Amino acid sequence: MYASCEQAITLVGDLHARPAGALAVAAGRFAAAVSVTAGGHTADAKSVLGVMGLGATSGQHVTVSAAGPDAQEAVAALITILTQATKVGGLLRNQAGCCSR
Amino acid sequence: MTAATVGIVLVSHSAELAAGTAYLAAQVSGGTVTIIAAGGTDDGDLGTSAAKVVRGLSEAESGAGVVVLPDLGSAVLTVRAVLEDHGDAESVLLADAPFVEGAVAATVTAAAGGDIKAVAAAAEEARHVRKL
Repeated sequence: MYASCEQAITLVGDLHARPAGALAVAAGRFAAAVSVTAGGHTADAKSVLGVMGLGATSGQHVTVSAAGPDAQEAVAALITILTQATKVGGLLRNQAGCCSR
Repeated sequence: MTAATVGIVLVSHSAELAAGTAYLAAQVSGGTVTIIAAGGTDDGDLGTSAAKVVRGLSEAESGAGVVVLPDLGSAVLTVRAVLEDHGDAESVLLADAPFVEGAVAATVTAAAGGDIKAVAAAAEEARHVRKL
C-alpha cells in the first residue's frame, strides 16, 4: 500500500551529530523516501551529512515527510527518534501527523 | 536486509586520525558497525602499513564485504597493492571520498543495513554535501 505521510515537531534540543546519525540509520531501514525539513531547507533523512547540514537547533520547527509503502511507520519512527535523541528536558510539542493513502 | 553488516576500514597516514575518525563514526552510527582503524606505519610513524590494511580487511569482514577509505594519495597505493595480492573485487571496495565525512556516511549506511555498493556510494556522495 502506497502512502505519503508528514508530521511536524518542535525540537527541544539541537540536532547534533549523534541524533542525526540515529535518524539516518533509522530512515535507511525503510523503503519509503524520507525527508527532513527545517529552516526552509530539506534533506534526505537517509543522508546523515544532509541531516547534519540542516543545522536544526532547539526550538526549531522540523517536519518529517515520507512517501512509499511504509511511509507511516517511517514518520512515526523518526519522530520518536527526534523526540528522544534531542531531548534535553521539557516537553516536546508534538503536532498531529497527517497521512494519506 | 541481511544479518551481516558491511565493515569499514579507515586507512590513514596517522594512527590518531584513523582511530579518532573510527570513534566519531561509531558514535554517530550507534556502534553496531565494525570499523577498523589502520593508521600509521608498523613502527608508529606517519605513513601507511600494508600489514595493518591486511589485518583490517580480515577483522572488518563479517560476510557482507568491506569498504575501505584512504586519507591521502599514498594510502591509496598501499590499499591497491594489498588488494592486488589479497583482494577479492566483489567483497572489498575502495571508496574515493573525503575521509571524515565519507567514514561517517558509509558507517551510517552500513548500520542501516545497506549493501557494499550502497555503503561505498554513501561515502563517495559525501564529496557533494555542503557543510555550510
